[in-house]
Amino acid sequence: MLVEIIEETKGKDGRRILKVAKENLIELMTELKKQGFNHLSLITGVDRKDKLEVVYHLHNFESKKYIVVKTETLDERVPSVSGLWSSANWDEREQYDMMGIVFEGHPNLKRMFLPENWVGHPLRKNYDLKKVQYINMDEEGNDYATFDPGDGW
Amino acid sequence: MMQDQKSKSNPDEWVELNMGPQHPSTHGVLRLKLKLDGEIVKDVEPIIGYLHRNAEKICELDYYCDAMMYFDRMDYVAAMNMEVGYLEAAEKLLGIPPPERAQWIRVVMAELSRIAAHLVWAGAYGLDLGMLTPFFYCFVEREKILDIFVEVSGSRQQVNYMSIGGVYQDFNDKIIAKIEAFLDQFPGKLEDIYKAFINNDIFISRTKGIGILEPEVAIDYGVTGPMLRASGIPYDIRKEEPYLVYDKINFDIPISHKKDNLARFIVRFEEMRQSVKIVKQAIKQIPEGPYFNPKSKKSLMIRLRGEGEYYARTESPKGEFGVYLVGDGGVKPYRIHVRSPSFKNLSVLPVLARDTMVADMVAISGTIDLVFGEVDR
Amino acid sequence: MNVLTHLAQFFSPLGHYISYILAYLFETIFFIIFVMVVLVMMIYLFRKYMARLQLRIGPNRVGKFGLLQLIADSMKLVGKETILPKNRDDLPYKVAPVLVFLGLVLAFALLPYGDFFYIGSLTITHSGVSVILLFAAIAIMPVGELLAGVSSSNKYAVMGALRGVAKDVSFEIPMMISVLALVMMASGRTSSPLNLESLVSTQFIPYGIPEVIGLFVFFIAMVARASYSPFDMAESDSELVSGHSTEYTGMRFGLFYMGMFGSIFLGSMMVSLLYLGGYNGPFSSDAGFIYLLIKTMILVLISFTIWLSLPRIRIDKFVNMGWKYLLPISIINLIIAGFLTLGVGVL
Repeated sequence: MLVEIIEETKGKDGRRILKVAKENLIELMTELKKQGFNHLSLITGVDRKDKLEVVYHLHNFESKKYIVVKTETLDERVPSVSGLWSSANWDEREQYDMMGIVFEGHPNLKRMFLPENWVGHPLRKNYDLKKVQYINMDEEGNDYATFDPGDGW
Repeated sequence: MMQDQKSKSNPDEWVELNMGPQHPSTHGVLRLKLKLDGEIVKDVEPIIGYLHRNAEKICELDYYCDAMMYFDRMDYVAAMNMEVGYLEAAEKLLGIPPPERAQWIRVVMAELSRIAAHLVWAGAYGLDLGMLTPFFYCFVEREKILDIFVEVSGSRQQVNYMSIGGVYQDFNDKIIAKIEAFLDQFPGKLEDIYKAFINNDIFISRTKGIGILEPEVAIDYGVTGPMLRASGIPYDIRKEEPYLVYDKINFDIPISHKKDNLARFIVRFEEMRQSVKIVKQAIKQIPEGPYFNPKSKKSLMIRLRGEGEYYARTESPKGEFGVYLVGDGGVKPYRIHVRSPSFKNLSVLPVLARDTMVADMVAISGTIDLVFGEVDR
Repeated sequence: MNVLTHLAQFFSPLGHYISYILAYLFETIFFIIFVMVVLVMMIYLFRKYMARLQLRIGPNRVGKFGLLQLIADSMKLVGKETILPKNRDDLPYKVAPVLVFLGLVLAFALLPYGDFFYIGSLTITHSGVSVILLFAAIAIMPVGELLAGVSSSNKYAVMGALRGVAKDVSFEIPMMISVLALVMMASGRTSSPLNLESLVSTQFIPYGIPEVIGLFVFFIAMVARASYSPFDMAESDSELVSGHSTEYTGMRFGLFYMGMFGSIFLGSMMVSLLYLGGYNGPFSSDAGFIYLLIKTMILVLISFTIWLSLPRIRIDKFVNMGWKYLLPISIINLIIAGFLTLGVGVL
């Protein structure tokens, strides 16, 4: 492979893990897709307190191989792979919603589960659970979030 | 007639209809924003998040053994499969393997739960199309399975039966007699329910040739489970990476090459028959021995520490259910992520439902088999 | 002797004109009570029958065997809070359920019920063209449903109303052509073939036997008129919430619901009058009404079984069926009836 990989390890579950810098991510993913990894099974984000880690699980149906790709970012921006696999679309929206990772190049980056004006990203380690937000519905049927308990249901 | 119109209709004349979160047929709290041109659906946008409980965050605040409770509540019609899924990852991360007897017991429970989940799906699908009676026949059979669950664990749906390193309560003769009594009469009833659907010409005309899912599109969108198997790809994790004791049991995987709604219907019914075969074999082969690992007695369970990360995949009735666990050496998980099959299956609905009629869109969203505890987590 | 003259005799001490006016008044009241009792009984029978088919029991708490359940339900419906949508069109919204119920009661008033022991003839209207009047009364009901759908400010209701119009237009013509075949066959034997009483009385052999095709076409049309499965796409409650009656609450919704059950009873009664011999039978001058009731209830139970076991047809497939299959079949039926009429005349 001609792409620069930072590190290659084998995880506890026996799968190959490739760590790559986020600038080379799209290159590596295009190369892997050409090799037949046509099923993107999972995109996860992990908050490692000083950096955000993004994990991709790829699967090849013909040769039954399974590979894990990891990348890290310090400024919460990662290039998006939704141009290569359509299943990345919803997964990246979910990670944007929960972790606050902004995927550059995503066609429709909005929140998935929470209303649009929710403050904060819940799965971060520095999310304050004591600040409670309430969800209500406006006249057209769209949801919105407020801090005011009197306004909620 | 209406389907022969070329798509030259003016986008300004499309009516926007909201099949809101409360609707008799969206199988849960799903909001669909439809753009209609007469009776033809031009665009569907699913909006989810009405059942979002953020179980992934809550599990970070509890011990490993307590996080089990939240998995019961994800796919609430097939709770045992969710527990098996979580335990595959947690036991490997914490290094506490279950004994043989517990693994066979888990297989029996998981397959019974798979039958129960497919029965719910079959009944609700009939309701979507307007058939009122098969719903009750399916639920009568499901009540018998829930009776077995009550006998085993004390609760019907949210069972909390399996624990790290084994199960909470052992099988005794009464439970095995109940399971065998159920298995004796179930195949006949299943054939009755199957005939109530298949011999009905109107049902066939409502499902044949509708909702065709090409295998390339399915793989691209990450669809797994019976939807993928009905498009011709024989992918079942119980055969690919066998977990528990599935490699010692003899069963087949039904696939179909027809790709439409009727194919998914037949694949799921055939899976129920295969599950009956698995339970019949497993019940006879449960070995004697302990049913939990002594390292995880109740008093020690909250002191288990996990380090590293692990991703385990299992086959739930809806598809590939994956649990990604990250531990940092403490007694509480650092990060749990759930790869839920219904979430990925739902993302293919806008592709399947383009240029169909409203009645067909409801039928297609019925075959996707959505359970919102799993989509929203 | 019939109901009217008996009542007039009863009131005759009060004078000639007053007795007849009071007789008409009481006859109307008795008739409306009869229609309500029939509807209540039908809904109770439906709930018990549906429950037994679905392996359950049905209402059995309110009164012995749940007989008072419908009275409790009606009291509940009457006492509900009336919620009116904000952007409705007021007059059509309020008139629509009344129109549906009105069409139903008018159609019941035009049917001949036969004879019954001491009372005599139970027929209320003696008109020379009651077949035409009957179909006109039945045609009022779809107008009510269309008004209901269009005047509620709800897209589901509009879609339901449009589907209902497509359905109604597709089956009305085959239905009337089938009845036309009957009228043609009866015109050789009686001088007023458009009168329902004469149609029934010419049936020594019930018309269902030479006109089997017409019987099936008419029965399918009656199933579509009453909007139950497999033809309930106008109110498919898994796609359109409730179709044209989505925005109705309380007793207004109750009127639509009763309209549906009344249409089932009306359709069964029409099939048994026109095709199965009506109130003819041994001792029919004393107990004709009982025969009619038995035939009607058998057809009602068949309708319920069809309702509970078949799924819903898509609207475009039904419109297809109506124009491409039902219409040519009913025209073939008309041609056969023509030959039979000629043949009877020649013999």
